Amino acid sequence: MDIFLQQLINGLTVGSLYALVALGYTMVYGVMKLINFAHGDLVALSAFAGLTIYVEIFGEGKNSILLVLGVFVITALIISLVGVLLERLAYRPLRTAPRLSAVVSALGASLVIQNSIMLIWGPNMKIFPSNLFPSTVWNLSGVVFTFTQVMIMGISAILMVALYIFINKTKMGTAIRATAIDQDAAKLMGINVNKVIMTIFIIGSALGAVAGLFIGINYRGITFDMGWTYGLNAFVAAIMGGIGNIPGAMLGGILLGLFNAMISGYISSEWAETFTFVLLVVILIFRPTGILGETIAEKV
Amino acid sequence: MKRTFLKLATSIVACSALVASLNAADVIKIGVQAPITGKYANEGQSIDNGVRLIVDQYNAKGGVLGKKLEVVSCDDEGVAQKAAICARKLVNAGVLAVIGSYTSGATEAAQPTYYRNGVLQTSDGTSDSLTKHKYWTFFRNSFPNSAEAEFTANYFVNVKHYKKIAVLSDYSSYATGLADATVKALKKVNGNVIYRGKIKSGTQNFTAVLTKIKSLNPDVIYFSGYYNDGGLLRAQQIQLGIKADFVGGDSNDNPDFMKLAGDSAKGTYLINVPTPDILPYDLAKKFLKDYKAKYGMMPASIWTLLNIDGLRAVLHGVEQTKSTDTKKISNFLHTLKGFPGITGPVNFRSDGERIGGGYMAYEVQADNSYKIVYK
Amino acid sequence: MRQSYKIAIIFLIVMGFFPLFSNSAWLAVGTTFLIYAIVAFSQDIILGRAGAFQMGHALFFGLGAYTTAILNVHYGVPIIYTFIPAIIIPLFIGIALAGPIIHLKGDYLLVATIGFNIIFIQVIQNDIFGLTGGPNGIFGIDVVRIFGVEFMSQRAIYYMSFTLLALTLLIMRNLDGSKYGRAMFYINKDDIAAQSMGINVRYYKLYAFALGSAIAGAAGSMFAIQYSAVSPEAFNVIQSIMFFTIVLVGGSASLPGVLIGTFVMFVLPEIFREFQTARYLVFGLAMILTMILRPRGVWPVKFGNIPNYLKKKDTK
Repeated sequence: MDIFLQQLINGLTVGSLYALVALGYTMVYGVMKLINFAHGDLVALSAFAGLTIYVEIFGEGKNSILLVLGVFVITALIISLVGVLLERLAYRPLRTAPRLSAVVSALGASLVIQNSIMLIWGPNMKIFPSNLFPSTVWNLSGVVFTFTQVMIMGISAILMVALYIFINKTKMGTAIRATAIDQDAAKLMGINVNKVIMTIFIIGSALGAVAGLFIGINYRGITFDMGWTYGLNAFVAAIMGGIGNIPGAMLGGILLGLFNAMISGYISSEWAETFTFVLLVVILIFRPTGILGETIAEKV
Repeated sequence: MKRTFLKLATSIVACSALVASLNAADVIKIGVQAPITGKYANEGQSIDNGVRLIVDQYNAKGGVLGKKLEVVSCDDEGVAQKAAICARKLVNAGVLAVIGSYTSGATEAAQPTYYRNGVLQTSDGTSDSLTKHKYWTFFRNSFPNSAEAEFTANYFVNVKHYKKIAVLSDYSSYATGLADATVKALKKVNGNVIYRGKIKSGTQNFTAVLTKIKSLNPDVIYFSGYYNDGGLLRAQQIQLGIKADFVGGDSNDNPDFMKLAGDSAKGTYLINVPTPDILPYDLAKKFLKDYKAKYGMMPASIWTLLNIDGLRAVLHGVEQTKSTDTKKISNFLHTLKGFPGITGPVNFRSDGERIGGGYMAYEVQADNSYKIVYK
Repeated sequence: MRQSYKIAIIFLIVMGFFPLFSNSAWLAVGTTFLIYAIVAFSQDIILGRAGAFQMGHALFFGLGAYTTAILNVHYGVPIIYTFIPAIIIPLFIGIALAGPIIHLKGDYLLVATIGFNIIFIQVIQNDIFGLTGGPNGIFGIDVVRIFGVEFMSQRAIYYMSFTLLALTLLIMRNLDGSKYGRAMFYINKDDIAAQSMGINVRYYKLYAFALGSAIAGAAGSMFAIQYSAVSPEAFNVIQSIMFFTIVLVGGSASLPGVLIGTFVMFVLPEIFREFQTARYLVFGLAMILTMILRPRGVWPVKFGNIPNYLKKKDTK
């Protein structure tokens, strides 16, 4: 039983990270019908940027709540900025272009960010210092929680609740939902679509930045191409939950993390990724709109 | 339009042919096939640096047989496919010998191409399968997995008296081979192997597999894979509260292992041939000094030095046979005995295997230095 | 359409005489170009002509390569006999995989094909049935032997690839003039309108998949011969993205476009060695800029004289 609980903790931790990243994909897809392939690389960028900020500005070895908070906030701001630039330079000029052109541009942006990371920080793996978070470990009758894991689950939950409230209870949130349903109608209603898009990129990138930092702190080794793997998995999560659907992305992320952990623990880790993508294909064939998505009739 | 295209095409082709022909004879080309980027970048870069250092030293003394040495490097990124591509490239570039690669997988993928084209190859790869074809072009400059497996098995059962042994590897042929050989050797001395599993290299999150191992309560976890996974495995093992010893095979011997494991590095055991700093040979000390002087840091690990010995043996062969005929050099090297190397006397066997050995077990100290605990 | 046939002939003549001017190193680059061009054209059939968002094409390239590798190394089948299975197996698997997903809307199809590519890579990395050699792949692939004569020189492999490319171009020319080609063109423009005109959209899209997969499989076989080794990294999603990009950035259904795209993506990095580290960065920028400035590709295909005001902007 405690193995199951342990795998549950493992799964929830990874799942929270997937959820944070998946939110970025789903918000952009919901409003712009575009798969932002570069999102995963923003997550990777945040890990590297965060590491540099921590080491250069704050000095390695010191840690305090204020310092860690500072690193998170500064990194999130920088990545949000990069996200907005990304939208402005690579996606906005293609708003009226054929679908496929935007896809290629997104792929191009992904390559640009990934390789910029490589050129700036070098191609080797970088290692996060292990003392950003205290290494306290709690043991509850055989099930182990580390401080980092608890932080990840806790902060992710708080952020997701905050996002949910924002989307459903604020004016901007309503504007976002309206633009996602029909961009032209939203414009007619007086919604500033450009502002909406900028907002979702800021929020999505900031969430991704938090995830990136957590990945760095938890898994310690970061490489310039790690964005791709995380991005793809998070994207699967977004689709599972229903692409374009915000609670869907949260649900999808958690479920994917759990699914992954259970397969790795009980069947075998080598097939975990295979099962994930088989699940993806099955969902696409039988219920492409995902768990929480609604089937909208396509107007011809 | 048509005509300009045709003109452009022919001129490009003609120019490239001209450029190619200008790279004429009177140099001896030495190839380096190493993971200069990618997961094992710091090993690959170190090997490349080391080769260039030796080549510079030879060239300063007039080269070999009156010809200058030239290094042609190819980055195989530590993956088999790129290794096969590098092999083609280096063969086409006309190298005499190739130092490469760091991983057994990349070495094996390139082997047939070098063999078919008579290019000598020396590698630190320890996978037993590297010498199974007995290619006359191949010389191993390290010692095979089976030797390490025997040492490990003896150490575990007869010295440390571990009662429950968990064996973990990744999916590469090298690590799987080493783990399988170790399991076999353990069975021979009646070791009790309670788990034999594999992790996917590079996935970073090993908590699922470790949790499974935790439920079996082992005395020791033996990991035969590479340092970039080993370090994380150790860190996560401690996080999960698994109270077993962690013993890493030879590819965990790299400074990044300590960095990744962080505070958990202390108390880890590593099994490998001697580390560069404890080698008793003057040649070794000189090499380390020269390397530090030129590059401002120490070579990544013993693997660089082993490859350098491979290079030095080949160059020695060229000088002794007074020829660049690789078959002649190969015949000479197969009978090489006692050639002074920076990693000890170099002796080759007729199947390209290096004879000798001398493994040690180290315990990692709080300051990340090694303490020899068994030899 | 005629212009591209002329270009094709010039191209074939230039590539045919290329080996006479170059040494082994350049021949290897040329062979790589030929092999990847074949795959790019096969991707063009599916994406450029039939308009199906296929982003997992390297899977079929890999199937062909691994088929040759497995048959030759594990079962001792002479290379020359592995060509047929290397074409047939991807063909059938192409149909089998495309069947359940071909009805999906654009982006969903794209993701599904990525999913298949990744599953393929995972399966071969896990050394299924002990046949695929795990992450290191399979090596020691034999050379082509016909009646005891070995064809292992770089020049021989070059000419084999060249023949395959010429065949591919011939197939595509026949495709253009046939009912399959026309059907694909209409499906690409507007598949709902095509369907209402009586064209069996599903059949023609599957046909495109089958043909594209078969050709990619053949190219895979050549790949295995050229490098004597196959391993998972050469057929992963990144490679699929390369092929996808070549078709779109070069110009869908455009012969010179695809050739230019292949040249830029796979040959230029070999020539300009100094830019190797920055090469993907440059590609990425080029991709973004090309899409912004020339959304239909660098050398788009021209179809008669349609007045501008009749050209509908894609709103899908």
